[in-house]
Amino acid sequence: MRDRLIETVLFGALLVLAFVIARSGSAYLAQTLFNAALAILLAIGWNVIGGFTGYVSFGQVSFFGLGAYIAALATMRLALPWPAAIAAAALGAVMLALPLGLIMLRLSGIFFALGMFGLARILQISASAMRVTGGPMGMSFDAAEDPRVCAAVMLLAAAAALAGTRLMLRTRFGLRLLAIRDDAVAASAAGVRVWSVKVLAFCLSAALAAVGGALYAWNLGYLDPSSAFNGTIELQSVLMVTAGGIGTVWGPLVGGALISVLSTLLWARFPMEQQIVLGALTMLIAVAMPGGAMAALARAGVLRRPPIWAPPPSVTAEPAPPPPAPDRRAPVLRCSGLGIRFGGVVAVKAVDLVAYPAEMLAIIGPNGAGKSTLFNLISAFARPATGQITFDGKRLPRLRPERLARSGIARTFQTSRLFASLTVWETVLLAALSLHRNRRKARGEAARILAEVGLLAQWREVPEALPPGRQRLLEIARALALRPKVLLLDEAMAGMSAEEIARVHAALRHAMAGGCAVVAIEHVLPAIAPLAARVQVLDFGATIAEGHPHAVLNDPAVITAYLGVELEDAAGAAA
Amino acid sequence: MLTVITLALLGLLWGGVYLLMATGLNLIYGVMKVVNLAHGDFIVLGGLLAFSLFAEAGLNPLAAFPIAALVLFGIGAGVQFGLLERITAAGSEGELRSLLATFGLSYVVANASFLVWGSQFQSVPFLEGAVQAGPIAIPAGLLAASLAAFAATLLIHLWLTTTITGKSLHATAQSALGAASCGIDVRRVRLLAFALGSAMAGGAGALVITLIPFQTSTGGELTVHAFTLIALGGLGNYAGAWLAAELLGLTEVFAQFYLGSNAAAAVIYIVFIAVLVVRPQGLLGQAGRV
Repeated sequence: MRDRLIETVLFGALLVLAFVIARSGSAYLAQTLFNAALAILLAIGWNVIGGFTGYVSFGQVSFFGLGAYIAALATMRLALPWPAAIAAAALGAVMLALPLGLIMLRLSGIFFALGMFGLARILQISASAMRVTGGPMGMSFDAAEDPRVCAAVMLLAAAAALAGTRLMLRTRFGLRLLAIRDDAVAASAAGVRVWSVKVLAFCLSAALAAVGGALYAWNLGYLDPSSAFNGTIELQSVLMVTAGGIGTVWGPLVGGALISVLSTLLWARFPMEQQIVLGALTMLIAVAMPGGAMAALARAGVLRRPPIWAPPPSVTAEPAPPPPAPDRRAPVLRCSGLGIRFGGVVAVKAVDLVAYPAEMLAIIGPNGAGKSTLFNLISAFARPATGQITFDGKRLPRLRPERLARSGIARTFQTSRLFASLTVWETVLLAALSLHRNRRKARGEAARILAEVGLLAQWREVPEALPPGRQRLLEIARALALRPKVLLLDEAMAGMSAEEIARVHAALRHAMAGGCAVVAIEHVLPAIAPLAARVQVLDFGATIAEGHPHAVLNDPAVITAYLGVELEDAAGAAA
Repeated sequence: MLTVITLALLGLLWGGVYLLMATGLNLIYGVMKVVNLAHGDFIVLGGLLAFSLFAEAGLNPLAAFPIAALVLFGIGAGVQFGLLERITAAGSEGELRSLLATFGLSYVVANASFLVWGSQFQSVPFLEGAVQAGPIAIPAGLLAASLAAFAATLLIHLWLTTTITGKSLHATAQSALGAASCGIDVRRVRLLAFALGSAMAGGAGALVITLIPFQTSTGGELTVHAFTLIALGGLGNYAGAWLAAELLGLTEVFAQFYLGSNAAAAVIYIVFIAVLVVRPQGLLGQAGRV
C-alpha cells in the first residue's frame, strides 16, 4: 500500500512539475525537458524488449529512425496532421516489427543484439540511397510552432508509456513476459504461448521507439539518415536502462533522469568527451552495479513490483472429483516404438509405454537409462526419430510444448525450473491462466491448488526463499494447475522431507481420483511405490521389465541392471 | 569473363584479410564465450596507429603491422584484466554484463580515437602498382596484405595446435572447468586469449588501412563484418572461418563492382542476418547458438 502511494505521488509530482515548466518556462528549458523525456520514452521502449523480455537489442534505434521518417513523409507528402502522422509511425513500426520479430526472435543472446544492429545499418543505408527521403543530405519540413507544446506532448507520451508498462506488469501479458524472461522452457511447460508473447513485446517496443522518433521529427523539422539512426541514441537507452535497473518499471525513469542530466551537462562542457564518459559509465555499471539504482531501492524495500492480483480471501474446497470415465482401463496415453539418438548414442530405442487414467505408472532405471529423454519426447521438448504417441484416443500431431501443456500433458523437470522473479502465487496463477480465460476462475483454481499442496501461506515468496523440497512442490502445483489428463513427474520427490512427500502423495491421490494419469520417474522407489499401480524399468534406452511393483523389483534382469553381475556368474554363463 | 576472374581473385585475396580480422574474435569467443563488441574499434585503432607511424615516422605498413599488434596486445590485456575479469556472474547474466561492458568499451575506444585522429578518413599508401599475371592485373598492395594476413593467421593456428600454451587455450575453450582441474591457470589463459585476439585485430587494422580508408566511426561496421564471418563459419571452427572469409570476400568484391559501395555494405548486413536465421550453427560447425 505504501509503495502504491509513493508511486502515485512520485508520478503525479513529476508530471505536474514537468508540465508547468513546459508550458511557462523558457524555450531552452522546454527543449532540455523534451530531450530528457524523449530519452526516457526510448529507454522505456528498450526496456520492454531488453529488460522484460530478456532480448538485449543494439538496434532499437531502427524503429526510432523509421518512425521519424514515416511521420515526416506523412506530413510532407500526404499532408497528414501531426497526430495522424505519429499514429502512422507507430503503425508502420509495428508492421515492420511483426514479420521481423518472427524471424529475429529465433536468435538468442548476442546474435539477436547484433542482428538488430545490422538492421539499423541497413535502414540507414536505405534512407541514404532513396530519393524520397532526401538521400544522405536529409530533408526539412514544418516543425512544431511552439517548442513548449512539443515538450508537453513529449512528457505526456513518456508518462503514458511509464504508466502503461506499470499497468502491463499487472496483467496476464506482463506475467507471461516475466516468466519467459526467467525461463522460456518452463514457461512453455506452463502453457504460455512463448512465441506470440515475445513477438507482441517486440512490436510494443518498436511502437514506443517509433512514437519517440515521430515526436523527434516534429520537434526538429529536419531529418537525415545519420541522426535518425544514430548509435548514440542506442547507447543512451541501454545506459539509462542499466543504470536505472533493467527489467523494472521505474528503472528507465530513474536512469533516464540521471543520465540525461549528466549527458546534457557533459554536452555543454565537454562535447568531445561526452561519449567517452557515457561509454565508460556503461562499463562501470556492468562491472560494479549490475542491478542499477533500482536494485539499491529494492534492497531498501521501496518500489518493489507489486504482486499480480492476489489469492481470493477464501479458498473454496474442490468439489467431489468428477465421476471417472466409464471405461477407465482405456489408455489415455500410449507410446509405441519411441526412439531418438544423439550422434552415436541411442538414448531411447523403441520404447512402448501405456498410461491409464486414474493410476500411476512408475518409471525407474539406472542413471543414463533414457528416462528424462523419454519425457522430453512425450512432452514435445524433443522430436522422436521413430515411433508414435497416441493421446486421448487420437494420434498426437507434432505440437509445440505449450499446446501440449494446454491440451492435457503437463510435466515437471528433473532439476527445478521455476521463475526467479515470480512469486509462488504468480507461478501457479500463470499455469491456471493458460487454462482459464476467466480471471476469477483462474484465481480460484490457483488458490485451491496452492492450498492443496500447503503453500498458500507462502504465496508472496519468491522461489529462492523456499527450501528445495518446497520448490519441487511448487513445480508440481504449477503442473497440476494445468488440470492435466497426463502428469509427467521427473524425479519430483528427490530431496523432499517425509512431510513434503506426504503432501505430494495427497495431491497426487486427489488428481488421480479425478481421472489424471501420472507417469513418475523416480530413483527412490519407496517414495512412490505406495501409489504406483505398475512399474516399468528402463536400461540403455529400452524397457527391460514391466508389471506390478513387487514382481518387477524381484525380476533378475532388473537386479542385474542395478547391481551388475558377479564375476563368477558371468564366467559361468559364458562357459 | 576476364572481369569475373579478376574479381574472383580479388575476392579470394580479401578473404585473407577478413580471416585475420575474424580469427581474433573467434579466439576470444572460443576461450571466453564473450563477444568483444569493440573488436572493430580495435581494428580501426590498429589502422590509425599504422597511419600515424607512416605519417610521422615514414614507417612501412608491414613494419607497422607488428607494432600495432603489440600495442593492441597491451590494450587487450588491460581490458581483460581491468574490466572483463571483474565480471564474475555466470550464465546469461554474465553474458549480458560482458556484452554491455564491451558495448561501452566500443564507444570509449571509438571516441578516444576520434579525439586523437579526428573524424576524417585516413589511409596509408602502400605498393601502389599492380602485379601482372598474364591478362590479369592484381593490386600489389592487396596481394601483400593478403599474404601477410594469411601468414599471420597460419602462424597463430600452428601455435595454437602445436605448443603446450596453445593447447591450453584450446582446452580452456572446450571446458574451462576441465582445464582448471588439469592445473591450467584459466585466468592467465583468458588474459592471453583476449590480448592475442586484440593483437590480431590491431595487426589486421594496419593491413586493412592500406586497402580501404578508415574513419573512427568505421568500427561498428567492422565488428559486424568480423561477426558475420564467425557466425557464417561456425563459432570456434577454423576451417569454417576460412571458408566464410573467402565467401564474404567474394560477396563484397562482386557486390562492390556490380552494385556500388553503398549497396555492398547493405549486402553484407543482409548476408549476416540471413546466415543467422537460416543456419545459426554456421556453415560447417554445429550449435553456434549462444
